[in-house]
Amino acid sequence: MALSPEFKSRLLAQVREVPAPTRKETLRRQTWLFAAGLIGALAIFFIKGGLRVTARPPSLIALTSLGTAGFVGVGMWLLFTRGPTGLRRPRAVLLGAAVLSTIAFVSWRYGVSAAYGRAGVWPDRIGLRCLGLGVMTGGLMLFAALMSWRRSEPVTPVSTGAAFGAGAGLGSALLIDLWCPVAYVPHLLLGHVLPILILSVAGGVIGGRVLSLVRKR
Amino acid sequence: MLSKPDGAGGRVATAADEAMSQYAQGDASAFEIVYDAVAPRIEGYVRRKVRDGARVEDIVQQTFENMHKARGTFIPGSDVLNWAFAIARNLVIDTGKKAGRESSTDMTAENDGMGAVLAAAIAGGEELFLARETGALLVRTYEGLTKLQQEVFELVKLEGLSYQQAAATLGITVPSVRMYAHRAFVALRGAVEERSESRLVPA
Repeated sequence: MALSPEFKSRLLAQVREVPAPTRKETLRRQTWLFAAGLIGALAIFFIKGGLRVTARPPSLIALTSLGTAGFVGVGMWLLFTRGPTGLRRPRAVLLGAAVLSTIAFVSWRYGVSAAYGRAGVWPDRIGLRCLGLGVMTGGLMLFAALMSWRRSEPVTPVSTGAAFGAGAGLGSALLIDLWCPVAYVPHLLLGHVLPILILSVAGGVIGGRVLSLVRKR
Repeated sequence: MLSKPDGAGGRVATAADEAMSQYAQGDASAFEIVYDAVAPRIEGYVRRKVRDGARVEDIVQQTFENMHKARGTFIPGSDVLNWAFAIARNLVIDTGKKAGRESSTDMTAENDGMGAVLAAAIAGGEELFLARETGALLVRTYEGLTKLQQEVFELVKLEGLSYQQAAATLGITVPSVRMYAHRAFVALRGAVEERSESRLVPA
């Protein structure tokens, strides 16, 4: 039993009555919101002191930051963009991107710092300040990403939200990398990695409600 | 369907993809072209999942409404059929908690229909009986497949989507689709072969 011509004309008429932004309008809105989130995150970063050299040699800062930027950049690109199909990338790819880029930047940071003899124990710096800065800066980026995609994800709102959370967490990890001189592994896990996990979970929970085309009750 | 080789990821973009791209840019008349190309495929897919005709129309309508609302996020040149299938599948899951049970019931109905076709074509009663038995065995085997194996089989074999399209629709990787499809084919072919061998054993 095929769909009737009446069904078609009724559907097309109904669709015409529902306002929907065009691609140009959507891109403009997304760009503005995303830029606002990024600027907000940078503002918090600079208010908190920005790049802190402390006793780190400039070459160590340059090496760790460039490496982290590379790993985090690839991860963010996979998590924030869509594949050639126009749909969000498969969940396994999103998870792999988040986990592998996190492992890569932590290993890089620890490895390079160890080579400079600066990966020793810092018992008084467990990483709470880094955790706070990561959640604040990443949270702002996540908020901007969720608002820019609000009510426009027809297929996978939860995994899209989680991917945005992980992407924002990775972005904040780069800022923390510039800010924090500590490369002690427990500190890295609590202060630099935990924000990514927190923001992923928050992104999934909020994304399921905010990104979905249909408002959830 | 008209096509040109400038789709995203080196894929050949269809006329429907082009029309959806135009619609995303604001050309209101292009949505009818999208509807004509996509609606019959979506309807067939949804009808296989949901028995109630009114619900089928509701889901098809909601699919197109969602495509309309999210048109601003459509990447020009990407696969509109893929996108529509993913939206429709999501709606089937969301709106019908009984979708899994209904899909297997529909398979039974489909095989009954196939039995009727065979009955008209085959003169002998024994052949008809055997065809029906094989159909029932296939349904049992199909029901024994995992949910993802069933979905991959439906999208690839019944809806004619490519492995890439099925992977994007289901949100899994292409190698996973190949694996699920292979396992489903092996299971179904195994059932038919087992049936044929059991017929050859003398009573």
